[in-house]
This record gives sequence, C-alpha cells and structure tokens, in this order.
Amino acid sequence: MKKIINEPTAFVDEFVEGILLAHPDLLKTTGDDLRVLVRADAPVAGKVGIVTGGGSGHLPLFKGYVGRGLCDGVAIGNVFSSPSSAQILEATQAVSGGAGVLFLYGNYGGDVFNFDLAADLAELEDIPTMTAIGRDDVASQPKERSDGRRGVAGIMFAFKAAGAAAERGDSLEQVAAVAEDIIENTATMGIGLSPTILPTTGKPSFELGEGEMEVGIGIHGEPGFHRGELETADRIAERLTERLVADLGITAGDRVAVLVNGMGATPLEELYVLFRRVHQLLTEQGITIDKNYVGEYATSLEMAGASISLLALTDKRLALLNAPAESPFFKEA
Amino acid sequence: MNGNELSSAIRNCLGEFTTYSDELGELDRALGDGDLGITVSLGAAAVEVALAALPSEAKPSEVALACAKAFANANPSTMAALVAGALLAGSKVWGKSPSISGDQIAQFALAAAESISQRGKSQVGDKTILDAMFPAAEALLAAEPGTSALDAAIDAAEAGVVASKDLQSRRGRASWLQERSIGLQDPGATAYLRFLQSWKSANGSTPTAAAATTEDNA
Repeated sequence: MKKIINEPTAFVDEFVEGILLAHPDLLKTTGDDLRVLVRADAPVAGKVGIVTGGGSGHLPLFKGYVGRGLCDGVAIGNVFSSPSSAQILEATQAVSGGAGVLFLYGNYGGDVFNFDLAADLAELEDIPTMTAIGRDDVASQPKERSDGRRGVAGIMFAFKAAGAAAERGDSLEQVAAVAEDIIENTATMGIGLSPTILPTTGKPSFELGEGEMEVGIGIHGEPGFHRGELETADRIAERLTERLVADLGITAGDRVAVLVNGMGATPLEELYVLFRRVHQLLTEQGITIDKNYVGEYATSLEMAGASISLLALTDKRLALLNAPAESPFFKEA
Repeated sequence: MNGNELSSAIRNCLGEFTTYSDELGELDRALGDGDLGITVSLGAAAVEVALAALPSEAKPSEVALACAKAFANANPSTMAALVAGALLAGSKVWGKSPSISGDQIAQFALAAAESISQRGKSQVGDKTILDAMFPAAEALLAAEPGTSALDAAIDAAEAGVVASKDLQSRRGRASWLQERSIGLQDPGATAYLRFLQSWKSANGSTPTAAAATTEDNA
C-alpha cells in the first residue's frame, strides 16, 4: 500500500480537519466532534434542513455537497462505514431551522438503520424529519426491485435539486417529493479497473487481473455482474448508455442531464473520452443533453474506473439543477 | 416497577449478560462478522454509565430511552441500531407511566419485536433475533396470573433458538452463507435468550408479567 497518510485510524479526522481549515467561510463543525459538518450559516431560520451522511472515502460525496443550495449538514462515518445515529442527530439539530429536516443519503443497510434511529431521536426533540434514499445503481438490482438498488454517484442530482427546493422555501413534504422525483428518474452504472485499498487494512477491496474490468461495480468495490476483458472507451460508453436509456425508458425527443463520474484514479481526460461517445450515442437517438457534469462527484478512494448517470429531465427538474449553489466542491453560479 | 427499580434490574441483568459476550462473539464469527460480542460488551458498559447518570425519579420510558441512546452510540453496528430502535419503540408504549405493569412489559416486548421486524424487513423464520423475540413476547402476553411469565418467555425463546438452528439465514450478512448457515445457531436469537436468562438469574422471576399483573389486580 502506498498512501499519503499518517496514522491510518486518524485518516478521517485529519482530512476533515483539513477541509475545515481550507474552507472556514463555508463550513463549520458543531462542537469538538469532527464527524459532523454543517454549512457556515446553519441553521437557516424557516428553511427545510437537509442532512446527508455515509461512510468516508467518497469525496466529494457526501461532505462535498454541504453548502448553500445543497445539503445543510453531514454526518461522517469511518471509511466505508455508517455514521452513528448520535452524529446524524447532532447534524439534524444543528441545521433545524424550524421547518423540518430531510434525510437524503444512499441505500446501504448500516446507513438506513442509523438514519431511521436518528429520525426516532429527532422526533423526541420535536424535529420532524422525512427520508429520501438514493438508489440509482441499475447494476445492483433489476428495475422491478429498484427499491433494493445501491445509491451511487447519481445521488448528486437529488442533492442539487432538493437543495434548490429547500433554498427557495419549499415545505418539508415538497422538498422530500422533489428528492424522490429525482431519485426515481436517475440511473447510474459504473465500471472498475483497479481496486480500492482501505487505509486501515492496507488490503485491496477486490482482485482484478491485468487487462480486466468489472462491469456494474459499486463505490465500495462491491463486485458487479460481469467481469471481462477491458474494452475501449467507446465500447464502455455504449454498454453503459444502452443500459441506462433502457432502464429510464427514454426515447427520441426526451431530454437528460448526464454525469460522467471518475472513481478516484481515472484521469479527467478519460472521462471526457467517455462523454464524447455518450454525447454521440444520445444525439443519434434524438435525446438532448440539457446539462452535463464531467469530473469526480462520487469516488471510491483510489479506485480506477468511471460511472455514467442519466437523469431524465423536465423543465422543473432542469430549473432546480440550474439554481445557484455553492460548496467547497460544487458550484452552480 | 418504577423507573428506579427498572434501572437497577437492568444493571443487575447486564452484569450477568456480559459474561455471554464471548459465546455471542463466537457464534457471530461463524455466521456474521463477529462483532456481536463487542456490541454487547461495549453496549452494556455504555448503558450502565447512562443509567447511573439518570435522576432517581426518571420514568420507566426515560430509562428505556437512555438505554437506547447509549447502546446505539457505543458501537454503531446494524445490530445496535436495530436494538436501540426497538427500545425506543417499546418506550413509546410506556408513555409517561410512572410505574409499569407486567402487561406493559409484555406490550414493550411486542413493540420491540415489531420494530426490528419492520426496520430489518424480516419475520420469524428468517433466522434472526426475531425467532426468539416474537415467541417470547407472545408468551409474556399469554401468561396467566400466578404463573411466571418470565419462565414462559425463556422457554419460548429457547425453543425459537433451537428451531432456528436448522433454518437458513435470510437476512443480513449471514444470508450470504446460504445453505452453509443451516445447522449454525443464530447469534441474535441467542443473545435475546441469554438476556432473558440473565434477567432471571440476576433479578429472580419476581418482576415478571404475571406477578406484576397480580399486584395490579389486587
């Protein structure tokens, strides 16, 4: 293992400390605990708060989406581990502006149990909460069991849209409905070329032979549904796009937002090579790309690979994506 | 039983219960990820600290709430979150009652089992803690005055643990073992049985549903 770290067990606290030192104007902690971050002006009176959270190792997911027009707070777990219900509750209390709090996070067992428990605890503090769970990874379950799908990079669309809805003054029910609407219309699929190495164990999350790729991979190195020879960028783009278009049921005349996401170790150049082909494919089918994002939005430490996400667009959804937002990792002017 | 009595009974019970943490850890290593022993020992220690800090006039529901929070934070595992949610669901049943009857304890046990069933999306027969919890809760609810409800609950939980041994795990990490899980004893169900047994050996059968119900009727 070669990593730029100190004590492996201090890794999470130390990078959070670094983020705070770099962006004191945008983020703050709620106390001594570095595992709860909120936007610098939290709580915003009268606004629905949005709390996210999950394991570390995915920057800019989840901490990177805390800011104006995005989420209000985040509970930070260890690498690939859920935060505790107490941390989620602390974030909830810190962002509660009196209009309720939406929990918005990805579909993983530990996170779901801890957020549910935090919802119980928040209720005892008279903070109403609602929950929306990102589940966009089409490779993890078939369409008819989409409730069981994992949440991966596509949750970024839900953060952006729900954050915009909360910022303009929507009620808790409305913000939750916006998040749910986006989640239901988002599909993602990824490929992995090399594994993640956990700082604490120093072991790779999976073994992949030279010249192989894993199709349908998760963001914790969970295996996909197919392992095969590494293909060209165009062939990968075709494979993923075809599956996503079918899953969302979009056809000629429809509009989409596209996210080409790097998993951590794949250069931006390669992501643009993928985007080029995705653009060609969608254009050939008469599908318009009204919004695109190319870069790192949800990573898996140093895993090499990429994912593609599509969001079927309406005017309403596009307006929410285009609303202003600012965090240390995400900006929409 | 008032809050103070409940708090001491729990602390007595936990002293006994933690002696089973090695056994539970071993069972969990075979079927899960092996952290149940730690969840139990760290959780019990945190609960004892939290209960010691409660004022003596705390209501039974506040005692349960303190246990839930402490247990969830000690080691934030899936099991800890489920158990804490179950304790919270149970404490809601008690509301603001200054003292709880045997029937309220039985209702607590049922609400706790239902919470885990709903959150964990599992039922009796999935080879989980519910294989002990539901039969035990039903035994508590069905207990006739004058009999020991706790003894009946222990018998029912034990039968659940034994019966689930031959089942295949259907939830959580254990389900990944598929057929290989058959024949292994479920650590969650065993933990619940050991908790009931610890309650009995530390507190006797006295603060049981039947005894308390009889008192209420008197």
